[in-house]
Amino acid sequence: MKTLLCGASRAAIATASIAAAVCAFGPAQAAEFDGVTIEAKLIGGQQYEALYARIPEWEAATGARVNVISIKNHFELDKEFKSDIAAGTTSWCVGSNHSSFASQYPTLYTDLSDLIAEDVVAEFVQANIKAATFDGKLVMLPRAQFDVSALYYQKDIYEDAEKAKAFEAKFGYPFAVPETWTEVKDQAIFFADPPNFYGTQYAGKDEAIVGRYYEMVVAEGGKLFNDDFSPAFNSEEGKRALQWFVDLYNAKAVPAGTTNYLWDDLGNGFASGTIALNLDWPGWAGFFNDPAASIVAGNVGVAPAPKGSAGVRTGWSGFHGFSVTQDCENKEAAASLVDFLTNEESQKVESAAGPLPSRTAVWDYVSEQAKDDPYRSEVLAAFKETAATAFAVPPTPFWIEATNLIYPELQAAILADKTVDEALQDASDAVNDLMLEEGVY
Amino acid sequence: MGLHHPTSPIIRLKCMELFHADPRDILMKRLKLPPWLVLLMPAIIILSAVVLIPLLLSLYSSFTSYRLTRPDSLFNWIGTFNYEKAVTDAKFWAAFGRTVLLLAVALNLEMLLGLSLALMISKVTRGQRALRTMMMFPMMFSPILVGFQFKFIFNDNVGLVNNALQSLGVTDTAIPWLVDGKLAMFSIIFAEVWTSTSVFGILILAGLYAIPRDPLEAAKVDGCTPFQSFRFVTLPFLMPFIYIAMAIRSLDVARAYDIVQIMTNGGPARRTELLWTLIGRTGYVDARMGYANAMGYVSIFLAIFFTIYFFKKLQSARKELGMGV
Repeated sequence: MKTLLCGASRAAIATASIAAAVCAFGPAQAAEFDGVTIEAKLIGGQQYEALYARIPEWEAATGARVNVISIKNHFELDKEFKSDIAAGTTSWCVGSNHSSFASQYPTLYTDLSDLIAEDVVAEFVQANIKAATFDGKLVMLPRAQFDVSALYYQKDIYEDAEKAKAFEAKFGYPFAVPETWTEVKDQAIFFADPPNFYGTQYAGKDEAIVGRYYEMVVAEGGKLFNDDFSPAFNSEEGKRALQWFVDLYNAKAVPAGTTNYLWDDLGNGFASGTIALNLDWPGWAGFFNDPAASIVAGNVGVAPAPKGSAGVRTGWSGFHGFSVTQDCENKEAAASLVDFLTNEESQKVESAAGPLPSRTAVWDYVSEQAKDDPYRSEVLAAFKETAATAFAVPPTPFWIEATNLIYPELQAAILADKTVDEALQDASDAVNDLMLEEGVY
Repeated sequence: MGLHHPTSPIIRLKCMELFHADPRDILMKRLKLPPWLVLLMPAIIILSAVVLIPLLLSLYSSFTSYRLTRPDSLFNWIGTFNYEKAVTDAKFWAAFGRTVLLLAVALNLEMLLGLSLALMISKVTRGQRALRTMMMFPMMFSPILVGFQFKFIFNDNVGLVNNALQSLGVTDTAIPWLVDGKLAMFSIIFAEVWTSTSVFGILILAGLYAIPRDPLEAAKVDGCTPFQSFRFVTLPFLMPFIYIAMAIRSLDVARAYDIVQIMTNGGPARRTELLWTLIGRTGYVDARMGYANAMGYVSIFLAIFFTIYFFKKLQSARKELGMGV
């Protein structure tokens, strides 16, 4: 009883003390978004989810709560967003977005330039901000998941004097890490020893092969679409670009199954030590050099993406980011969360694991951090150089649909079902029909 | 005063009747619905909500330019444009033809293998239960996982089959199982057959258990060879079971999607494109749901055709056995 009384009296004293404190200093200032719940649909996967561990910090600072209602890869999220638009269930607030997908959702997301201060937007790499802007609307803020591809290679190949001599005798120029796509082709054919070893490989289906073809067309001096989004790839530059893929396949310098490969197949292929040269994304840099995961660990070199015959580097790029829906009830709170997840601190946390940042200051920071790590420095230097001339996908809502029309034709040329001319003519006609049907021009 | 109107005794009586009456009686009396309709009403409401309304809505949308990303396009009536586009599209008919080919080859192979398995298991005297359970293992895997499993097995570079063939000295080349036009279809059919042969096996085994012994013994007494006994006694008894399995599996294969989506996604160069990989991509990736629904409705005829065909066969097989229709 005594204990109970003591407890009770202590509680009474504590309550009185708090009351006194409130009287003395006035009510504690309410957090900015007290009681607000932000529903979010976010991209999942180990590479992306580390950032979400910072969300509780934002919740503590603002008083809001984040309820993640969906977490999936981007292809699945894309389908879910389209279903949400169709069903009108778009009152959730924050969604993961990607520069290659963003143009497909013209009504889903709000203009962030009304919600994010101009000086904050100015701190991002402006090429990314441009690629995140559609019809004058800034639809997403980029996170530190900027993607452009550089050339990974097995270093010891270039240390073999006999190989260098044989190469020079055959092709008439010195053997070195390739700087052009013609050199990549020569070397890939030279290295190939199927089925044990291949010169290179490429993504062979879906949007992936069209992206690779797109950047090759640009490197050859051409373009995929005209300014009115009519197809422009059925050109001499487009034909040269496709011929590069066809020649490598015919020479058996790439794995026979490459037309069925996507990113995981390519990454695992290079890590298995059976590929000499591999154009790939920055996210693989750590994996390739991890002895537990990769046979080529310790033997990986990284060079900037090679150039095409027009002297232009390939540089198909994309980036992940966050958007706020048009139907979100509390856009200010949602924009605050997006701002937090893409701020300097968040980008430092995210890029520490390898991915490339999209803020200028964080690029400098990660370069400084990597100066004692030669491999990381080499990776950053190669990607920084490639990023300088990188370009995003054409800003049309029919990008994905156009790629679905183009890629089977590219595959048909590679597998010799059609000639390069026939394949590009058919692809061009199909894209033209699509654009006409959709009233694009 | 004027606010209070005492109710008449007749009204009060009616109210009391209604109060004590069964609610179903009230419904039937008020709406004058026949009892059978009232009894069927829950089923009708549920079926309407989950089948009929979505079916009608998708049929309607097939006459519009409906895009998932533009909900207002649901009201953009374009008549039979989507149907005309589908039936004049060579890619659609190529996918249709491939689906029929897959159906014909996979069903017949599954039937033959399922029949062989069932006959062998029926002869086993010890451990038959364990064998039956083992036979069903492939059915227990999700088709998505089966797709991933065979995608890896048939990978040209790091796949199990090529590595085995190369190690055994059978070949020194990387066979492009999932790329070559014929081999890619073969690989998909292999995966389908692996995962579903046991459906035939189990149903035919059930048929074998149900066969009366007398006709078989009579055949033996009449001097029939084992093959003649099988051909003229066992097989006719099994046919109803085979047709049931065929009808079930034809619907399954006609809507083949998951295994193909994972293994080849209809490629490369549309070499393994089936109806539902084409329709799925058009509807959910390209977001052209109106066009996808039109293709879906044309494709449904395929499923209806095979269902009617196999049920007719089933009926005639039952008639032959004197089992009635």
